[in-house]
Amino acid sequence: MNALWAIAMITFKEGIRNRAIFGILLLALLLAAANFFVSGMIMQEIGKVAVDIGLSSISFSGLMLVLFVGINLMAKDLDRRTIYMVLSRPISRYQYIYGKFFGMTLLVLASTALVSLFSLGAVALIKVGAQDFFPRFSWPSVFLAIVFITLMLILLTALTFLFASFTSTSFVTLILTVVSYLIGQSTSGVRTLVEAPNVVGIKVSAFTVKLVQGAYYLFPNLSLFDIKTQAAHGLPVGADYILWTFLYWLLYTTLAITFAALIFRRREFP
Amino acid sequence: MIRIMGVSKTFREGLRGRKVQALDDLTLKVQQGEVFGFLGPNGAGKSTAIKTLINLIRPDLGTATIMGKDATDQRVRRHVGYLPENPYFYDYLTAEELLWFGGRACGMPKKLIRERSIDLLNKVDLGQSKGRQIRTFSKGMVQRAGLALALIHDPELLILDEPMSGLDPLGRKMVVDLIVELKAAGKTVFFSSHILSDIERLCDRVGIIVGGRLRLVDEVTPLLADGSSLEDIFMREVRNAAPESAL
Repeated sequence: MNALWAIAMITFKEGIRNRAIFGILLLALLLAAANFFVSGMIMQEIGKVAVDIGLSSISFSGLMLVLFVGINLMAKDLDRRTIYMVLSRPISRYQYIYGKFFGMTLLVLASTALVSLFSLGAVALIKVGAQDFFPRFSWPSVFLAIVFITLMLILLTALTFLFASFTSTSFVTLILTVVSYLIGQSTSGVRTLVEAPNVVGIKVSAFTVKLVQGAYYLFPNLSLFDIKTQAAHGLPVGADYILWTFLYWLLYTTLAITFAALIFRRREFP
Repeated sequence: MIRIMGVSKTFREGLRGRKVQALDDLTLKVQQGEVFGFLGPNGAGKSTAIKTLINLIRPDLGTATIMGKDATDQRVRRHVGYLPENPYFYDYLTAEELLWFGGRACGMPKKLIRERSIDLLNKVDLGQSKGRQIRTFSKGMVQRAGLALALIHDPELLILDEPMSGLDPLGRKMVVDLIVELKAAGKTVFFSSHILSDIERLCDRVGIIVGGRLRLVDEVTPLLADGSSLEDIFMREVRNAAPESAL
């Protein structure tokens, strides 16, 4: 446990001091400021737009963190061989992967908390100035949406670990992660479309249906974690949806990180 | 302390997967309390052999054991300090944090880590820079930090891959003094170096590896008794190996 915690701590410290983090926080601050301008330019549904922009900026900043800080943290260990200093200790490959993952998870939590502070601060200020446009606004819904974004970012982090465990360069890991993110965001919608093509009057081959269904089960369904619309409109999210989404997240993340550890166990570092 | 028995390792290179024999039936024993110098030209297999001991590389054939335990057993590394060739550490950590990690990973109590960190960082002349991030260090300073990291948990066995690399004369003297001190304390030191005079001066025994095969293992004193220098012997072994490689 000591070793695992030690790896998590150095990963977190290395990540939080990275200059890229400052860039991402600056971006989040600018997006929060932009929320004022955009919300100020429209004369209706200000509340919905402000919440939507606020949550989108949290999601976007988190994505930048995972893609540019998270992948780099893992890749540097392999590219620059900093992994030697870790694996020459009485540390197993499993401890290395889990420790690194926990460190990165801490980084995602800390960064999302800070970015959320900027975004929600902007939403709160807009709400003070335009109280009438926030009739169904609910802080719990907004917080739940942030929790879901955080879960999605942690899942994506687990995927980067899985890809990094068998690829040789960080660029390939980056590409695979971006592709998985894009597919994961759209797979649910595309599946609905190809399984009932008559609704929109299109024809879809049986092969395409199988392909989309395969992608649906292989790639994470990231759209499950996107409840921005519900939060913006103040719509309730059912307890069973929350529970099933959480269980889905737990299962997918655990599987991804376990496979990463299994692959990594066999890897050599010449 | 170290037993490498019949270790062979082949790597595949390039798109066509060309086979490169890095180690060929390497057998080597290092006794406890011994300072062993591992010599060889670039690409001879020194680092591969060392990485086999640290379990960074797994042999295709043969076994490597440390203190009677297989090198793949992570517990054995509690007793091993390793300095890689051209070490890289996390840029944004300080030297003090690096040693904290090394100590914690070996299960050392915090108070002991603190005490040994101060002592070791002063010893490698980084006492004044302990709070600086490693990315601001020169190559020599990184090498010194690596030495302190290898020693933080007071290991029984030190495996140092080119410990003098990147060091100025003062740094080299510091490493020499350190190895002498470790030997006096009964520690085992296994190190590779291209600086033959240091090997002559420090080592009890020396091994010369060329083309993945161990060409010579002997005690330094009798080896040099006829007035030959280690450089002469090294050059001879490399020359003798050349026709074999050509076959």
